[in-house]
Amino acid sequence: MKKSKLSMRARYYIEGYSFISLWLIGFLLFMAIPLGRSLYYSFHKLQVSQHGLIASFVGGDHYRAAFTTDVNFLPLLKDTMVSMLTQVPLILIFSLFCAILLNRKLVGKTFFRGIFFLPVIIASGAILSKLMDQGAANLPIFYNENLYNKLNAFIPGDLLETLLQYAESLTLVMWDSGVQILIFLAGLQTISVTLYEAAKCDGATAWESFWKITFPMIMPMMLVNTLFSIVSSFTKADNQMMTHILNVVFKTNDFGYGSAMGWIYFVIIFLILGLVFLLFRKSLSTTEGRK
Amino acid sequence: MLKESVRPARAVSLEAVSGRLKKNGGLDRIAKRTLQVINIAFYYLVILSLTFVFLYPLLYMLSKSMMQAQDVADATVQWIPKAISFHNYSLAWRSLNFWGGFANSAIISFGSAVLQIISCSLVGYGFARYRFPGYTFCFVLLLFTFLVPPQTIVVPLYLFFSDLGWINTHLPFVVPSMFGHGLKGALFVLIFIQFYRRMPNVLEEAARIDGAGPFRTYWQIMFPLAKPAMLTVFLFSVVWHWNDSFEPNTFLTTPNFYNLSQRLAMFYGTNNQAAETMSQMTSGSIGMAPTGLNQVMAGCILTILPILILYLFVQRHFVESVERSGIAGE
Repeated sequence: MKKSKLSMRARYYIEGYSFISLWLIGFLLFMAIPLGRSLYYSFHKLQVSQHGLIASFVGGDHYRAAFTTDVNFLPLLKDTMVSMLTQVPLILIFSLFCAILLNRKLVGKTFFRGIFFLPVIIASGAILSKLMDQGAANLPIFYNENLYNKLNAFIPGDLLETLLQYAESLTLVMWDSGVQILIFLAGLQTISVTLYEAAKCDGATAWESFWKITFPMIMPMMLVNTLFSIVSSFTKADNQMMTHILNVVFKTNDFGYGSAMGWIYFVIIFLILGLVFLLFRKSLSTTEGRK
Repeated sequence: MLKESVRPARAVSLEAVSGRLKKNGGLDRIAKRTLQVINIAFYYLVILSLTFVFLYPLLYMLSKSMMQAQDVADATVQWIPKAISFHNYSLAWRSLNFWGGFANSAIISFGSAVLQIISCSLVGYGFARYRFPGYTFCFVLLLFTFLVPPQTIVVPLYLFFSDLGWINTHLPFVVPSMFGHGLKGALFVLIFIQFYRRMPNVLEEAARIDGAGPFRTYWQIMFPLAKPAMLTVFLFSVVWHWNDSFEPNTFLTTPNFYNLSQRLAMFYGTNNQAAETMSQMTSGSIGMAPTGLNQVMAGCILTILPILILYLFVQRHFVESVERSGIAGE
């Protein structure tokens, strides 16, 4: 009796494993082994010879070089960080705003939704860079010089400049927020209408019910979107870091140094993502409690 | 005693209130109505202007791509060219070598998308329906895969694929997709996990009682039901593969194998020369637009046209299916 029960369970386990075995093999081939090899390369100097690659151990030289001798690495890293830090909050706010707009009853809903997801379709690195060459990725209103001069009378220059930079990056933000709008929209639709009705009966204004109902309920999607935005801002094709690593690897054939840079980048992304998780943990646990 | 004294007072106040309501009722309603109308008008204004912001680049590309050189130089021409011409398109078509690029892009994106649907769905089903020792560990690995930047593993992958002789073939894109990896593969697995978790067990139980094995149950019952999730994954996978340039730049290194967006990226340099030679050829061309801007824009349109058409067809279902497939996660 006991034996047959065990074998049932064993069979169940085996079924489960066989379903995901395909992915596990893929993980080994395309993730685990490359990661290990890249860690190994990052501590070695690789030379191409007739017998394939010859690796000689150099210790942490590549890592030291990235921070000391490479003139491009640190500035690029800083640029990537800065653009991530400025864009991710903007992306979140903008996409939440769009999702709330789209979630209301309106005529031509499918049409507007179709348009709002258009960036998902067009936002390709190649096209974006072409548009940026022409200055068409930005709206003409924002970089108009007249606007700067006119507003300068009211707002101090330093502040205005950053404000305008924000406004200018808004269009870039828009290009990156397609998926996030989608996720927020799907999240908004899981919130039950009765909650809002109850709040209205209790005399809550729309503003209050946004902060007391919508915002806490959307918190899990906020986490998903934050993670997604951070990852995609680090890995999108027009990221300077990507091109730099590719250049180092394929123009100079410095495989070891390229791997080392990849690992530094990876560790930094992981630290940031860990920080985001910590920040969200508290607010997530409160929403869990409320459910 | 106390209650009785309270009651009449309350009745009076209620009467007074209702009286006031009756008196001002019409006016209040009008005010409320106008406020509502203003509210709605404002709402549509916001959404329409945002629509314009979203459409602006597309309109810009369309308008510029139809202009000829004299229209670009002409300050009076803002949006609508004086003479609509498709000359730029034929030029861009030729310098993109459209069919070659299209074939490469299409094989990579559609091939990978179909394979990713099959493999990610299978794996997602396994994750959604089975609990086994090491389940949490595998799930963490899945999330981990999503977070690892491609920069970190690009060197070993390149060396691996070049050892296999796969550089300048479609295999580096297609084969990882077969295993549920490839571009954003982990995300697609997550989408399928979410979808299958929401499905009731009843159908599978019925199939199992009728004697179908686990894989048959999956393949004949559950997989066909996952259409909303499939559509989402398919569109995302096609679009992301189509637009990606990091992996193609790494694994496709000779121009013959370039996909469309790579060709477009190359376009600018060659196009400048073409514009120069053209302006040299046409005499008295001083003051003509020096760049091949319109051809570049035509090239952009040509590059996104295939997925734009695809999007037009699936858009309606796409939005619905995203809502139903639970991409948002919980």
